[in-house]
Amino acid sequence: MADGSQASRPLSPHLQIWRFTVTMAASITHRATGVALYGGAILLSAWFFALAAGPEAYGPVSAIVGSPFGLVVLFGFAWSLFFHTLNGLRHLYWDTGRGLDPKMATMTSWLVYGGSIVLAVLVFILALN
Amino acid sequence: MTSKGTSTFIAQRASAVLLLPLICWFLWAVIAHAGASYAEMRAFASEPLSAGLFAALIVVGAAHMRIGMAEVIEDYIHSGLKGLLMTLNWLAAICVAGAGVFAALTLVFAG
Repeated sequence: MADGSQASRPLSPHLQIWRFTVTMAASITHRATGVALYGGAILLSAWFFALAAGPEAYGPVSAIVGSPFGLVVLFGFAWSLFFHTLNGLRHLYWDTGRGLDPKMATMTSWLVYGGSIVLAVLVFILALN
Repeated sequence: MTSKGTSTFIAQRASAVLLLPLICWFLWAVIAHAGASYAEMRAFASEPLSAGLFAALIVVGAAHMRIGMAEVIEDYIHSGLKGLLMTLNWLAAICVAGAGVFAALTLVFAG
């Protein structure tokens, strides 16, 4: 226990005890990308608001978005969006009671990681062509 | 909150399903208008359909992110800070959604 005393009940092992699995990584990444997209939604809303406010407000915003720093943030936003959306589809499939066996869940974890990277790169190539 | 578990569960999934087509449209809009000038971007966003879809994406996104963040707060914060964070989470979602709707209305009616 935190105070050094022994608990009289069985305790669940802490995070670092578990063997690393891709399903566990995907679960953590789903939450992390969700939190990142919270920031992304604030930025998207601010960008849209600046667009409506006028060129004086929009100019600095689009300059930041188009800067090297802005493009790195944008790529992180794009990848987070694809990861969270693809893994969200996985969650919706699970909600039907299917795809939960270890073999299938492991395969779809890898698919979500691979697919999200491919799609984020693809969108960047298409947008910057 | 215990009595609201099922409705929150359903709201998170309903908003997720609504976001799927909105995100597809958004990605198309980004690819089609990347590098556009202010005037071009404003002309596109001022079309009622575009403005409506932008507003829908931002409002449904705000609802989805509020529920997600509430779950994160409930998982990790057990101190007196929890109530304050839950309130700030609501405020952030309302500001995001409100700014999106206000901007969409401005674009449609001011041109």
